[in-house]
Amino acid sequence: MSSPVTSLIFLVGLLALAPLVPGVATRTKAMLTARRGAPVWQLYADLWKLWRRGAVYSTTTTWVFRFAPVAVTGTAVAASLFVPLDGRSAVLSFSADFVAFAYLLALGRFALVLGALDTGSSFEGMGASREVTFASFVELGLFIALSVLSLAAHDLSLAGMFGAPLASRWADAAPSIALTGASLFALLLAECARVPVDDPATHLELTMIHEVIVLDHSGPDLALILYASALKLALLASLVVHVLVPWNPPAPVARLAVLALGLLAAGVAIGVVESVMARLRLPKVPLYIAGASALGAVGLVLLLL
Amino acid sequence: MTLLFVGLFLLVAASASAVILRSHRWSDRVYVALVISGCAAALVPAIQVLAGGSSLLIIVPASVPGGDWAFGVDPLSAVFLVGVLGVGAAAAVFGTGYMAPERAHRSVWPAHAVFALLVAALVLVVTAQAVVPFLVAWELMALGSYLLIVTEHQHADVRRAGLVYLAATHAGTLALFALFAVWGQSGGDWSFAGLAAAGPRLAAGSVAAVFALALFGFGVKTGLVPLHFWLPPAHAAAPSHVSALMSGVVIKTGIYGFLRVITLLGTPPAWWGWLVLAIGIASSVLGVVWALAQHDIKRLLAYHSVENIGIILIGIGIGALGAAYGQPAIAVIGYGAAALHTVNHALFKSLLFLGSGAIVRMTGTRNMEELGGLARRMPITWLTFLVGCAAIIGVPPFNGFVSEWLVYQGLFRAGQAGGGMRLAMLGAPALALVGGLALACFAKVAGVVFLGQPRTPRPLHAREVGPTMFIPSVALAGACAAIGFAPVFVFPAILRTGTCVAWRNECGLSARSASLVAPELGSVFAGAQRISLVVGSLVGVLVILWAARALAVRRRSIRMAETWGCGYGEPTPRMQYTASSFAAPLLEVWGPVSGVHEHHGATVFHSTPTDLVLEGMVLPLWQRVRRAAVRLRPIQQGRLHVYLLYVAVTLLAMLAYLVFGPTD
Repeated sequence: MSSPVTSLIFLVGLLALAPLVPGVATRTKAMLTARRGAPVWQLYADLWKLWRRGAVYSTTTTWVFRFAPVAVTGTAVAASLFVPLDGRSAVLSFSADFVAFAYLLALGRFALVLGALDTGSSFEGMGASREVTFASFVELGLFIALSVLSLAAHDLSLAGMFGAPLASRWADAAPSIALTGASLFALLLAECARVPVDDPATHLELTMIHEVIVLDHSGPDLALILYASALKLALLASLVVHVLVPWNPPAPVARLAVLALGLLAAGVAIGVVESVMARLRLPKVPLYIAGASALGAVGLVLLLL
Repeated sequence: MTLLFVGLFLLVAASASAVILRSHRWSDRVYVALVISGCAAALVPAIQVLAGGSSLLIIVPASVPGGDWAFGVDPLSAVFLVGVLGVGAAAAVFGTGYMAPERAHRSVWPAHAVFALLVAALVLVVTAQAVVPFLVAWELMALGSYLLIVTEHQHADVRRAGLVYLAATHAGTLALFALFAVWGQSGGDWSFAGLAAAGPRLAAGSVAAVFALALFGFGVKTGLVPLHFWLPPAHAAAPSHVSALMSGVVIKTGIYGFLRVITLLGTPPAWWGWLVLAIGIASSVLGVVWALAQHDIKRLLAYHSVENIGIILIGIGIGALGAAYGQPAIAVIGYGAAALHTVNHALFKSLLFLGSGAIVRMTGTRNMEELGGLARRMPITWLTFLVGCAAIIGVPPFNGFVSEWLVYQGLFRAGQAGGGMRLAMLGAPALALVGGLALACFAKVAGVVFLGQPRTPRPLHAREVGPTMFIPSVALAGACAAIGFAPVFVFPAILRTGTCVAWRNECGLSARSASLVAPELGSVFAGAQRISLVVGSLVGVLVILWAARALAVRRRSIRMAETWGCGYGEPTPRMQYTASSFAAPLLEVWGPVSGVHEHHGATVFHSTPTDLVLEGMVLPLWQRVRRAAVRLRPIQQGRLHVYLLYVAVTLLAMLAYLVFGPTD
């Protein structure tokens, strides 16, 4: 059974549980570095606290600054409509809907960057510049990966390219699919501002990327931005899960288990990466993204040959 | 069809009114009324044809060589006609407001008069159905553009930009003469119908020559890389409403030329499709990289025209490949995507140029490094400009997304189609990169120009422009949003246009050819319907979140304070990130391709962009030609007896040829 109702239930579940994914990553990191660390649900507590706080606005800012958090969350929610969370169907699906998925996330990024520039702060300008620089290369890698998957699954919608349709293609296109999964995971780290591209735990303005463009946000605005980051991470992680797990059971409960365990594994993987690696120097980041894209490109060449 | 000529007549009357009334206090109003009514009248037949009506044709007997003059409106003409008339009317209205402050120290009526004539010439270009009127209109368009580019001819750089444009456009026109000469060599008349009939009789070599000449002749006009070198200086030099018309419509006549040649001659050879696809990818990537390097807002927008022409060419390339590899549905999607992106780019690019015009008028500078903080001072201009930015980077809910989505459809379907064509899919990641870079570029424009604080005193006293200058922008922004919200209303017309181009103007498909394309076009059309659903949900979610945020913020303490300076107590506007520094990390990745020269100092960082083609190739080549020409100068002595000697020698040479040359 893969009715729109199931998809909707999965979607609501993901929207509710998305903050757990970064929580798992932080927890893993704490365990691996032998610290006590925050509980897995720490982000919920932070969001609740921020939502009830007041806010401080810079006198330089306009409505753009206030609208940016709403836009970044709204676009992430709208983008989640296309993602086949159960590996079979999405709430909304049409041909080349992945373009809408990617470009909605781009709209959110555009709003966030404009919000940063609205403050007139040199630090936020710096962060905005880095964010758009790296994001443009991530976009390239993402579409290489999508090209591989659309070729492998012979479909043009996210619901037809991830999960069940792809699982049946492992037999003859395993190298391409595996490479693409690896590429997508590496791109996820860049897009969601994790080590080795950015460090969510750092608080030195000169070295930050994503964190620095939300430097002036506070209260409910910051809560929205934190939630949107968690949601984006969960969305991209579920896409990675549905590339790399070649198994899609018919029972909805089993599919739910695949997704939940997959997201847990993704969180752990992110935590492990953050524990064993240092952040790259900024000039090296484009090389990292190019390398991640190259993985996908190799997969693409294998399929096109 | 009568209405088309009524419209043309009204446009010419508008031009005449500008000449007659000059600086009369009613002159602007009469001019605006005539231009708008002229554009509205000519729009009627275009809309009729696009809504599914039959194509129109009228033949005017002419006594000049080259046969009768024919004019007509078919779906291809109609798509371009909509762009010409919509942008023409908006830019003309804006122009009256834009030029008004200059009345004090010089006469502005010549610019208005030429502008209305230019719009009329553009109408003729896209409706001409015979070679001679087409070339006449083409030349009128080129000359009209030139006169408008050099409106501010007191500046040396404006004169130079005009000269470069004039040279480039005439090189292109020369190629068009050659094109029609090759095509028409087998006899027949010089109407487009005659050329279409002559097409199948052409040898393969001649067909290849026609397509190659079209690529050069029309390519100069569109500004594809590397023939774009005339475009940025010309767009920067012209008054802003002229830049809007040139970037929005005039350069699109080259695209019209490509599509018209394909319509008349049939499927291009596969190499042409690959070449156009490759040029399209190169133009879009290089265009946006070069745009990133610019600090002159109008030059930046001009390079974005190069980028968008590249996207349109990707569409044409995919269409041509689809036809060449026997994939009719992909051909229709590719040509349709090209047509839709042409219209969309006309809308949002003219919107952005009008916005830049408002900025230039209010601050007196095109240099972004001197601007900042205009969002508070010009709220309407800011909002419309923001719509233009979102549309050009191709994000929902605006029209740019719809046409880029259609281009992606063509690219990914090419991959699915298999065969040799599947390699065309490699254009998809390139297009995604272009989207990301365009986002970076417009974040820079919007952020540096409108947000933050003024970097110099120039923007301090800017205020909102008057209604004649913001109403056209609001109308164009509304059109961008309308196509983005409900693409289903334009898709039938667009897919029909694609069909006309793919099937040599047989727009009514036979049952057999219709069944070839129906399922795929059906899924594209269903996608267009879902886009409205996506946009609807996006707006819904945004409204809910905004309301929730408003509730959360209400009754909480809201403090206003200075921007967080990380503990630094005395921040100044000079500490803001500049356009140079914003683009620096991206340009560094592109290295020498970006063409920027960076100036580092202890306290300064600045970058200056150069055009690799103009400064690196065209001008050095021109210097060589000049040096060679200087060596020939001794021939001209300026004395009569030397010339008599030349005549005598020539005559002797000819006599010798008659006597000793081949006898038969």
